[in-house]
Amino acid sequence: MTLMNERKIASWVLSAPLLIMLAALLAWPLVLGVQTAFSRDRLSEFEITASGFDNFVNLVSTPNFWTSLGFTIGYALTVTSIELLLGFALALLFDRKFPAKKLLFSLILVPIMIAPALLAVMFRLILNENIGVVPGLLKLVGLDVSLFAQGSIFATLTVLDLIEYTAFAFLLCYSSLQSMPKEVYESAAIDGASSVQTLFRITLPILRASLFIVFLLRLLDSLRTFDLIYIMTGGGPGTSTQTVGIYIYKAAFVYGDFGLASAAAVVIVVLLVPFMPTIIRQFNIQGAAK
Amino acid sequence: MSIKRVMTNLAMAAMICVGGLLSAQNTTVTMVLWPGPEGDAMQKVVDGYNAGQGLQDKVNVKMMLLSRDNTFAKEATLMKSRSKEYDIYFTASYLVGQHAPYLAEVKGVDKSLYLKASVDSLVVKGQQMALPLDTSLHFLYYRKDLIATLPANADKYSAIAKSVLGKDLKPNPNPDTWTWDDALATAAFFTKKYNPDSPTKYGYALPAKNLLYNTMIWNDVLWGLGGNWLKNGKPNLDTPTGRAAMDVYYTISTKGLTSPESSAWEYAETNAALESGNAALAIQWNAAYAELNVTGSTKGELGITTPPGTGQRTHVHALAVALNKFSTKQAASAKWMAYLATAPAMKAYADAGGVPSMPSILKEMIPENPSFANLIEYAGKYGYSESAGPREFDIYASLAEVLSPVWVGQMTSAETSKAADLAIAKLQN
Repeated sequence: MTLMNERKIASWVLSAPLLIMLAALLAWPLVLGVQTAFSRDRLSEFEITASGFDNFVNLVSTPNFWTSLGFTIGYALTVTSIELLLGFALALLFDRKFPAKKLLFSLILVPIMIAPALLAVMFRLILNENIGVVPGLLKLVGLDVSLFAQGSIFATLTVLDLIEYTAFAFLLCYSSLQSMPKEVYESAAIDGASSVQTLFRITLPILRASLFIVFLLRLLDSLRTFDLIYIMTGGGPGTSTQTVGIYIYKAAFVYGDFGLASAAAVVIVVLLVPFMPTIIRQFNIQGAAK
Repeated sequence: MSIKRVMTNLAMAAMICVGGLLSAQNTTVTMVLWPGPEGDAMQKVVDGYNAGQGLQDKVNVKMMLLSRDNTFAKEATLMKSRSKEYDIYFTASYLVGQHAPYLAEVKGVDKSLYLKASVDSLVVKGQQMALPLDTSLHFLYYRKDLIATLPANADKYSAIAKSVLGKDLKPNPNPDTWTWDDALATAAFFTKKYNPDSPTKYGYALPAKNLLYNTMIWNDVLWGLGGNWLKNGKPNLDTPTGRAAMDVYYTISTKGLTSPESSAWEYAETNAALESGNAALAIQWNAAYAELNVTGSTKGELGITTPPGTGQRTHVHALAVALNKFSTKQAASAKWMAYLATAPAMKAYADAGGVPSMPSILKEMIPENPSFANLIEYAGKYGYSESAGPREFDIYASLAEVLSPVWVGQMTSAETSKAADLAIAKLQN
């Protein structure tokens, strides 16, 4: 056996646990999901039959799906953009020394450790007009607002998402900043560059790839938003705050239509897959840069 | 070591062995329930059975509490995969039609022991598919102290009714006889926007979240006005009655008789609005009585009656347990179910905090919870439940989706009633 062949065999053997795990946890459920998407598979009907593209036809002709998709994309872009900006701003702030930095650093990370469902339940109480702390405090300063009213619910949901996930963007931005070569800043300082010039001419260009990854990771995560909104609004009124995740959940577990739910999930996978090469490429660019 | 100690140890070891042998001979039946008062109460019944009747039956019951929010979702996947993991499923009147293909008929149930509306709500195609546990229905909750002030403010009441609803109305201090006009006018009278002297900010607490359980509450309005989802098997909401029922909620929202936050309200928020003294009236689940009667502004001032209407009706459903058709322990499961269907078992359930569907047991508990008298009366006189069709649960959810924009005043009944009928028709196919 040649050395090359031995290496090939060894690489397959060493990769085998990962490949088996991926096959069991990713490939197999994916295959089952696709199979279900092409089946008439309803809880109220005992038999499962092949249905061709019926579920997909049903799906694309359902306005609710498109409303949900539209809301999801709008919501995901909004929260991701703000979280990236806030996370980056916080990272810049924490990249310098100031009193109580460690304490504040820990506090910022607290929300990300709380399950979104739990956070939503907490805020349903905290923001409740009748018994909530926040409306009570706002009333003290003369502001009588309903944070769950139709006009303010999008903003309320956005703020909750920011509370939960800004720390994620912050952590990634902060770690990227930490890995920046300090000599570059020293050179810029010697050359007389201002803080703004340093930010826009040095920091941002160097971190571009990292920030793009943070943006894509959060965007993909936001597109899967479910628990926070489901608990806060149930996707309503009507379907005005319904995400695709809620649509799929309801299709499967409320309407008992597993075929339709799987078809929606397949469509979402197909929509998201094109992002993956971009993310992988950016990771590679970043890796090569390091 | 003394001889006495050795003998004691030997005796204990022998008992453990005998116990082990006995339990090995017993068949273990697994049952799903959800956590909360029902799960806690049932655990007491299970423990009692395992220590008593279960030994004779050679059946040991093991109860699994799934999450309260997702028990039915988990069960759906188990059923669809024809799982044998659990022998007895947790179900409900509004789900039994959907679950029926995966359940075995429960035989030998003495229906006369149960509230008729509850036990009948678990019949699918003429077969009793589940055994009722807790019965739930709706009350109109109101503040007695506030309603008592209406006659003394008749002129103001009529003026507010005229300006808000455009109708000539006089106060009706007896909520038992309220039509929706009476309820809406009273809600307007106790809304600060129209009556700055009102002790409550809003007259009504409207649970208008896009949630299927809120459709059940809205259904009281529909039924109370003489409507129903279907007429001769066809959708029936795009009708004057259907639209009138939608308009009741639309009026409550658009006239500001409830908080703008109502669009996110369900059970807990409705309770909070009543307890905090921010609302004077609400249709709410009977389970809320135990809390509302002892806390906040409603403490000692809580009145209950049937939901308003020209022919009052209240939704009734029962939580229930049912036999998994694919269980390999049908005989043992049936023995446990037979025990559960007895009055002593349900008495133990009630003593532990459950609300069984047996009127004889509920009557005994009236001194502890006076609302049980109303529950028995209303379930019999005014109770209804939608037919346990395979898509009943789906229709509830679909209507919540379609109607909640009307409930919160985003859309009118004219814009929505056709969509509501279409939603039902789609699920009928």
